[in-house]
Amino acid sequence: MNDARNGEVFEPITVHNFSERILEQVIHFHVMKLSGGFFLWVGSSPVLSNLAVSMSSRYDSMPSSTLVMGDPSNTAPNSLAQRLAKKTKKQVYVSYSLPMTNSNISLLVESRIKKEVELHPEHF
Amino acid sequence: MSSAEPVIRSRQTEKEVNGISTQVVCTEFSNYIFIVLTQYGKMGTLISITPDSRSNDISTPAFSTKVLLGKDEPLTHVCAKNLATFVSQEAGNRPVLMGLALKDSTVDAIKQMKEIIKSCQVW
Repeated sequence: MNDARNGEVFEPITVHNFSERILEQVIHFHVMKLSGGFFLWVGSSPVLSNLAVSMSSRYDSMPSSTLVMGDPSNTAPNSLAQRLAKKTKKQVYVSYSLPMTNSNISLLVESRIKKEVELHPEHF
Repeated sequence: MSSAEPVIRSRQTEKEVNGISTQVVCTEFSNYIFIVLTQYGKMGTLISITPDSRSNDISTPAFSTKVLLGKDEPLTHVCAKNLATFVSQEAGNRPVLMGLALKDSTVDAIKQMKEIIKSCQVW
């Protein structure tokens, strides 16, 4: 799919959607693959509530992460971005737009994403 | 696996602007329009463009731009405001989140990019 233009490797952006019923709730996932990273949105309704960015650092075994949008008291977007950056070694943008109520769900959501990364690495 | 219909709608295209490959992806959220406009294939600088809510008179609202991630330079604000204002207005004054990574930010290039964004209308 790559072709050289302007002396650079040109990679087209791709979009991938999937959804899963988790704890009686349909959760939607939207992945946009970019060059060197990806954007992932997780939610049950089409709201963009927050955005965290994470990438590996040579100075720390844990990737550094920052919240660029949304409520800073919600740690879910940051921690998910950080763990996905560690797993994929890429720059990761995460919007975790699920209500904060259930913390069990975030573990299940994370394992569902990791399963998708393993099944379809080409989308991330 | 369930429900094949995604809740998030997005459209994308790739065109050349003055000989440079330019990709646009527009994604609709109920509270935001998310636009990636890139000549590097990367997200680049993240900017939010928000209509000021204070006035409800007939005149066109003012927009404030904020660089959320990346180099905060005046030209970025100018480009983002120029590219996203019409989107916000057409989308019922929804704020726009924009990822911008440009090699060419001349007036002529920006004009062409606006047309590309229009061709990916999701709002």
